[in-house]
Amino acid sequence: MSQALLEVCDVRKNYGRIEALRGVTFQVEENELFGLLGPNGAGKTTLISILSCLLAPSAGEARLSGQPIRLHDLNSRKQIGVVPQDLAIYGELTARENLAFFGRLYGLQGAELNHRVEAVLETIALADRARDRVNTFSGGMKRRLNLGVSILHRPKLLLLDEPTTGVDPQSRNRIFEEVRRLNREGMTIVYTSHYMEEVQALCSRIGILDGGKLIACDTLPNLLRLLEGRIRVRLPQVPAALRQRIQQLPNVQVAEPQPNVLELSCKEAARAMFALVPLLQEHKLEPLELETQEPNLERVFLHLTGRALRD
Amino acid sequence: MAIWTLAGKDLRLLLRDTRAAIILLLIPPVFMFVLGLIMGESVVQKPDDRLRVWVVDDDQGPPPPNGPYGNKKWSEVVRDDLANIGGVRVVVIPTREEAERLVKRGKVSAVAIFEPPFSQKVNACSFMEKEFTGGKQGINPFFKDGMDFKALDLDLVEDPKQPTAASIIRQVIQVSLLRVVMSWMIGSAFDKISEPVFIDALADRVVVTPSLRGSPIKQPLKVLTKEQRAEVGNGVQAALLEMFKQYNLRGKSWHALTNSPPPPPAESGSLTTYQGGGGVLNRGALRYQFLVPAATVMFSFFMVLAMGWLFVAERRQGTLIRLRAAPLTRGQILLGKMLPCLAVSLFQGVFLLVAGSLAFGMKWGPQPWLLPLVVAATSFAAVGLAMLVASLARTEFQVAIFGTFLVLILGIAGGCVWPREQMPEQVQAWTQLTPQAWALDAYQELLLSTPNIGSVLTSCGVLAAFGIVFTGLAWLLLKLD
Repeated sequence: MSQALLEVCDVRKNYGRIEALRGVTFQVEENELFGLLGPNGAGKTTLISILSCLLAPSAGEARLSGQPIRLHDLNSRKQIGVVPQDLAIYGELTARENLAFFGRLYGLQGAELNHRVEAVLETIALADRARDRVNTFSGGMKRRLNLGVSILHRPKLLLLDEPTTGVDPQSRNRIFEEVRRLNREGMTIVYTSHYMEEVQALCSRIGILDGGKLIACDTLPNLLRLLEGRIRVRLPQVPAALRQRIQQLPNVQVAEPQPNVLELSCKEAARAMFALVPLLQEHKLEPLELETQEPNLERVFLHLTGRALRD
Repeated sequence: MAIWTLAGKDLRLLLRDTRAAIILLLIPPVFMFVLGLIMGESVVQKPDDRLRVWVVDDDQGPPPPNGPYGNKKWSEVVRDDLANIGGVRVVVIPTREEAERLVKRGKVSAVAIFEPPFSQKVNACSFMEKEFTGGKQGINPFFKDGMDFKALDLDLVEDPKQPTAASIIRQVIQVSLLRVVMSWMIGSAFDKISEPVFIDALADRVVVTPSLRGSPIKQPLKVLTKEQRAEVGNGVQAALLEMFKQYNLRGKSWHALTNSPPPPPAESGSLTTYQGGGGVLNRGALRYQFLVPAATVMFSFFMVLAMGWLFVAERRQGTLIRLRAAPLTRGQILLGKMLPCLAVSLFQGVFLLVAGSLAFGMKWGPQPWLLPLVVAATSFAAVGLAMLVASLARTEFQVAIFGTFLVLILGIAGGCVWPREQMPEQVQAWTQLTPQAWALDAYQELLLSTPNIGSVLTSCGVLAAFGIVFTGLAWLLLKLD
């Protein structure tokens, strides 16, 4: 069984009267790609700042490999890589100079430094632009370099704070690929985003943060199980026999919110659809409208908080 | 290692902005030049409404024999006499060419030029005929208007466009010459009374009508022996001294002749040398002895802005977060930021002193090896202040406001724009609270002909203390988050 690399234990952070974090607790296993999902202002960046030794918690503790993460702890910092939400690279320096500068700050020198710089340039596909000043780069290239700077020293834990903000789809895919590759190579990653699709596509386990609280934390399938699938169908008429037959389907509940409109709630919408279609044919009914909704994180968030993720 | 990495990066960023680097180096010399043009030599002169008597001293001596003036040439005696006149300031111009140029440009109304034979001519002045002066005919320096300048080889170059001012200077020199030369001539003539040649001449000339009863002596002094004649000479001298008691006829100087107390030493600054500089840039002008150090000090404190901007830029572009997340201490970040600014400030200081010497002919004084110490101490204080501003300012605008306000106010109060010596005395004491004042004190001391090294080291020590206090405050106030 893998052990927890990162432990977050009842971490709280107050800014005056504002409670940015209200007792957040979770663990991230070694080699896990953990997603932290939440709307803007949920406390994701505050949490990442605490985990990056940039901020001290008001209460609680975060531990890396069992060691407390403290504000001025240089050892912890060496083991952590941070990709800040905003770009954090020098526009007047070249890509190579940026990488070399931050590499030196993390203690890399000489041949090792050169080797790592070249390797990262290849990884983030900027080898051919290594000598160009960053100011001349596109937004996506800058984002890739922003990521490259953070992985240069091979951190144990990589914290990505909304790393795809303002990035074109091509660069986003490249960043996803790179995140997956790093995770495959054994790096533990905490990925925060308010884009449900990103977290859903990348992360094996997800914590949902809202108003400074972790309101859910589980694997994606387990989170989705919190919700049922839905099928909404409008028919020319709804015979009683049909309604009765549908109610007899396993794990399906039916309601008629409007005349001639049926709403089916079920564990898996696709499976229920396979059962529904023969029944309609049997009653010689053609749907006027048909809509299916599988559970997703957006609906999970709505279910848990009563509001949409992007509100 | 991390400190050097940080410092190297900032230095690279500073140098990469070549336009800023050029401006950083070029603006101070332009500042010196413009300020020099606007203020002229007044910047190094206290407000002075004394009458300036301009002279060129080409006199080659010799000093007067047996006179009361020691080894001074006659031109120096006249200059001293002029300098002792209340309300007069004597300005010595190094060369006749410079003097003629100044007159031609209308900057000076008249210049008295002591020609090379001036002392010889004054030495030859005498009331007596050549039989009493070793066979040489004495020069009569007087004429209807007073002293005859030409007879003494004293040339007065006048600006025809300023006849009144030139006339005043002429009269002042007339009076001074009259005092110096006439008293010398009277004293010299009086000495002759006791000399045998004078008594012999007297014996030839004194004729007495023989008495009826006594011996018929027509020239009574002739019958006296040499010794008796000397006694007569001394007696006549003594009698004359007795008869003209209010005067000391042996005096040879005006104050001695008139039985007055010797003149007090000339007032400070009443005898100065003109340093107008040359060429388009007025190279060598005295003003640059003030303006070059002033600009060097003033602009070293402009590092405040550069450093503040470096910090703000680090915040703005988000890289400060990375630095804080990196395995660096606050001290390393602070020092890593200080070092490049210190390096730039040191380079700028040395560059300006070299440029000041090459472009403006500024002189480094007799102990130039101490200048780098003053540059370093000043830069340290400036960078400390820069750190303090950087620790307080959060935006470029705040840096500009804090920085410019501090640099200008402290610069003006510290004497970088106008010398502190010309400020009211109470204000001068307060200006010592600024590092700029101590830096300028150190420079001014070093540029003197005989600098007080202890005073320079004290100023450097105070500047270092300023640097430590500023840096300490910055350390306490700096918030990297």
